[in-house]
Amino acid sequence: MAWELLLWLISFFVSIALLALVIYQLICLSDLEFDALNPYDTSSRINLVVIPEFVMQGALCTLFLLTWHWFLFLITVPVTFYHVRLYLRRKHLLDVTEIFRLVNEEKKYRMVKLGFYLVLFFIVIYRLVVVAVTLLIDEDVDMHESYTF
Amino acid sequence: MASERPGPSTYPGRPAISPFTAAPQTTMPFLSSGLVVGSEGSGYRANTPAGFNGPSMSSPPSAYASPNLGTYQRFPGPASTQLISSANGPPTGQPVLLPPVLPSTGQHVLAPPGSFHPQPQIPSVPMGQPPQSLNLQPPRGSFPSSPLESSFIAPRPASQSSLHGYPTRQANLVSQVPPVQSPPFLAHQGGYVSPPPLAAPVGLSSREQMQHTGGGPPVGGIQNLVEEFQSLSVGSAPGSIDPGLDFKALPRPLDGDVAPSSLANMYPLNCHLRYLRLTTSAIPNSQSLLSRWHFPLGVVIHPLAKAPDGEEVPIVNFGPTGIIRCRRCRTYVNPYVTFTDGGRKWRCNICSLLNDVPGEYFAHLDATGRRIDIDQRPELTKGSVEFVAPTEYMVRPPMPPLYFFLIDVSISAVRSGMLEIVAKTIKSSLDELPGFPRTQIGFLTFDSMLHFYNLKSSLSQPQMMVVSDLDDIFVPLPDDLLVNLSESRNVVDVFLDSLPSMFQENLNVESAFGPALKAAFMVMSQLGGKLLIFQSTLPSLGIGRLKLRGDDPRAYGTDKEYAIRIPEDPLYKQMAADFSKFQIGVNVYAFSDNYTDIASLGTLAKYTGGQVYYYPGFQSSIHGEKLKYELTRDLTRETAWEAVMRIRCGKGVRFTTYHGHFMLRSTDLLALPAVDCDKAFAMQLSLEDTLLTTQTLYFQVALLYTSSSGERRIRVHTAAAPVVTDLGEMYRQADTGAIISLFSRLAIEKTLSYKLEDARNFIQQRIVKALREYRNLYAVQHRLGGRMIYPESLQFLLLYGLALYKSVPLRGGYADAQLDERCAAGYTMMTLPVAALLKLLYPRLIRIDEYLQNASMKIDDFGKFSKSLPLAMQSLDSRGLYIYDDGFRFILWFGKMLSSDIAVNLLGMDLSTFPDPSKVSLSERDNEMSKKLIGILKRFRESNPYYYQLPQLLRQGEQPREAFLLFANLLEDQSCGTSGYVDWMLQLHRQIQQSA
Repeated sequence: MAWELLLWLISFFVSIALLALVIYQLICLSDLEFDALNPYDTSSRINLVVIPEFVMQGALCTLFLLTWHWFLFLITVPVTFYHVRLYLRRKHLLDVTEIFRLVNEEKKYRMVKLGFYLVLFFIVIYRLVVVAVTLLIDEDVDMHESYTF
Repeated sequence: MASERPGPSTYPGRPAISPFTAAPQTTMPFLSSGLVVGSEGSGYRANTPAGFNGPSMSSPPSAYASPNLGTYQRFPGPASTQLISSANGPPTGQPVLLPPVLPSTGQHVLAPPGSFHPQPQIPSVPMGQPPQSLNLQPPRGSFPSSPLESSFIAPRPASQSSLHGYPTRQANLVSQVPPVQSPPFLAHQGGYVSPPPLAAPVGLSSREQMQHTGGGPPVGGIQNLVEEFQSLSVGSAPGSIDPGLDFKALPRPLDGDVAPSSLANMYPLNCHLRYLRLTTSAIPNSQSLLSRWHFPLGVVIHPLAKAPDGEEVPIVNFGPTGIIRCRRCRTYVNPYVTFTDGGRKWRCNICSLLNDVPGEYFAHLDATGRRIDIDQRPELTKGSVEFVAPTEYMVRPPMPPLYFFLIDVSISAVRSGMLEIVAKTIKSSLDELPGFPRTQIGFLTFDSMLHFYNLKSSLSQPQMMVVSDLDDIFVPLPDDLLVNLSESRNVVDVFLDSLPSMFQENLNVESAFGPALKAAFMVMSQLGGKLLIFQSTLPSLGIGRLKLRGDDPRAYGTDKEYAIRIPEDPLYKQMAADFSKFQIGVNVYAFSDNYTDIASLGTLAKYTGGQVYYYPGFQSSIHGEKLKYELTRDLTRETAWEAVMRIRCGKGVRFTTYHGHFMLRSTDLLALPAVDCDKAFAMQLSLEDTLLTTQTLYFQVALLYTSSSGERRIRVHTAAAPVVTDLGEMYRQADTGAIISLFSRLAIEKTLSYKLEDARNFIQQRIVKALREYRNLYAVQHRLGGRMIYPESLQFLLLYGLALYKSVPLRGGYADAQLDERCAAGYTMMTLPVAALLKLLYPRLIRIDEYLQNASMKIDDFGKFSKSLPLAMQSLDSRGLYIYDDGFRFILWFGKMLSSDIAVNLLGMDLSTFPDPSKVSLSERDNEMSKKLIGILKRFRESNPYYYQLPQLLRQGEQPREAFLLFANLLEDQSCGTSGYVDWMLQLHRQIQQSA
């Protein structure tokens, strides 16, 4: 049971990281819109974190597959697939020259992803809590049982 | 005449056709007479058909016996407006009707043709069309019975009544669509130009009729009509035309670009239209109104447009006061600000904030509220001023003008003679480079290696340093690669003299373009400046190497098609962004006759405010002059360095999209590392608030730049435009040139992410939607039935739309234009100012043999004498010499029967016996005729100084050159799969009606 807890802990931190990365990208984009950041900085900042985000998301997806968590795997795999597709088409990076034309789309795309990661985050928290609680109760029960016997 | 549509019952003439069509071999005259019955029958009221049919049946043969077949071609329009008047008048016996009808026709039918003589054209040989049209007779059989006919019937009763109800209005409206317009017919038309044969005879008869009536008192001759038309045009709302019925009557912009003057009259303080043109001079006050205006709403800005002598933009220096600007919205002081409070405050016209007037700028107001010193203040009286910017406007000391040349010296560059011409041209331009004595210059040549040149002034000879490691580019010398021109002039001279011979024996075919670009970037990144790239092969080594990807015809028509028009390697975009960031403007000169991937190379120019020059198959003997002129112009024209441009406008309105060559540095700031007098930019605006409350909307364009003399300046153009609540007013105030300019940019941008076809449909759809909307405005009120109407202001829009449809970047598919040419033309059109763009879209075609032969005519008379002709095969007469001028080249078309002494005089030989006219070059000879011709060319060139127009000679019948040089550009004709002007109008008309 302990490895289960470990898995959810890892998932928990990864989804927090994913959330943080997406929020960071969104902040960069809105900074760009409000003229607080120039397009060069915006694109280099965002492009810096795109690959880590993809890798983390992919790792999480693989982790769910390997640990046989079908439900979560099926939730995350479309996004992974989408990321892979973007990467293969070389469209995963922001185009600095056209950034202002794309900024609205890019924001929308990241908002959707933010929502998705949030859902994932809550599911993971829920599972984490469930696992942690059952673990505690089990221990409790174990202790109790050992006590009675 | 739309009103003339017969009701279903009035179709007696129809059946008459079928016998004729049943016998396809019928001779032309006979057929036409038979058809006349049909069409005239359709033109009749129910009460007259019988009476009228008789005479018309019998008369046509005699009337049409004399004209030859060619003449039929000439009057293809089926039922012209004139026809209506003529056909109508006699039978119905209502002479009263005539006057109103004719003037109306005059408005559209007479006025435009007035400028091209119908008479001289008649005898011209229509270049092989008659047989075609004869051959194609069988298909005609299909249209009379087409199902569409029934659809035309419905509106008829209504329009008929309108004839009685609105006799004068009738004049404005154009006639109905005859049944001929059925789609099956169009579909068959592919091969022949002549429109519905039904129409031909009718057009003829109408013309005759017109001549008869022309003498009569009520009509008063063509001249009167033209005048009436002009005076009418100001106020009359719906211009209208007979949808494609009379070829000659269709509106044509034969005078070139005419900017609408109404706005300038309304707001005389506005900047001149050459700097800023609105797509409509009436801004809609609400989003719902805007959504019904289907054209783009925006402006085309040409910030550094060359002003004629005496109208230069005044320079204002506020000195220590600093530039007067609004505190809140940063608007520059302009003629529309108002001074209040005895002159102590001024109100910003854009955000209406009250600002204090600085003490040094204070002046008393006179009784009318004007500043007493207003006459000494150009910024308060002129729409365009230039402020000298103090140090707050600098992030670094003003940069010197800097030119860096990146020259391909591989074998193809040497062989084509490009290297030699470039070296010579640069050398000859050195004295005229702007910014003496601060100008800096540097060179880098490359093949499979990079060659740097140390041009230090203390050297007597330039030192060459070769870098062969392409993976790890470094600059071998920290400075002295870029030198001050005036100090190192001797070294530079020596270098340029020896450059061609240095690589004379070079056999290297490789091109390390990417590494060279990186190296140039490293050299220039300190200062910025202008980078001129001369590239004659496909980049093949190091980063940024490109593949031969443009030759694949299979890509066309698929969803991936656009990919060949965007840069292949993201490096190019990245480099372009870096160039822009470091104030480097890139101009690309490409020379190869093979694929060089202009799409990728041009990206560098696209985001740095540059320009792409493309010389396919460059040969110094042929294209040398052109390259020389264009390079010289590029080097010597006034250039604004490290510039940024911003446009401000009133509250509730915002500029959202920008189109042109620049890079956006923030949402509304255009970064232009080097911009010059040949670049225009377009932008679209959108309404933020649902309702605009102001009466007037102000625009202010500000271009902050460093002049070549090293002064930081702000060029400010201010314009005002009224806000309206009426859609009709928007259409009336529309500016065709600006709309087309925006359209072309939008369509070209569309080709970068969609198929060509989608881009073309986009234009067509927008035009159709707009005209449908306009039609809906008036259709009910005036019962327009089946007529096509459009505002006077947009009368040329449809033709320009067609021209755009057939323009090089958008036309056809794989075979219709080479990919590189397409891309190069696309890049060019993205920067062209309005007038030059319109010229490119609808070039000038002028017959000059008579002028050349007539010794009494001097060059000064040429302007009066010369008339632009419609761009159609029919305009060409085999006895004539024509000049076709699209602003990029001249094509001289020698007719077959042109008297040979003209050719001998001009060329020194008889062209008809010369085997290969493409090898003949035009030079001034010692005779009157040749001097005159050169004079004409010179005059034409002056009118379009952006590019050098290389004269190309063309002999009639010389295939295939004739076909792709000239015929493909005669856009009013049908050419391989695209519609001609008449069909285009019919097609649009049909689409407009579909859901109207």
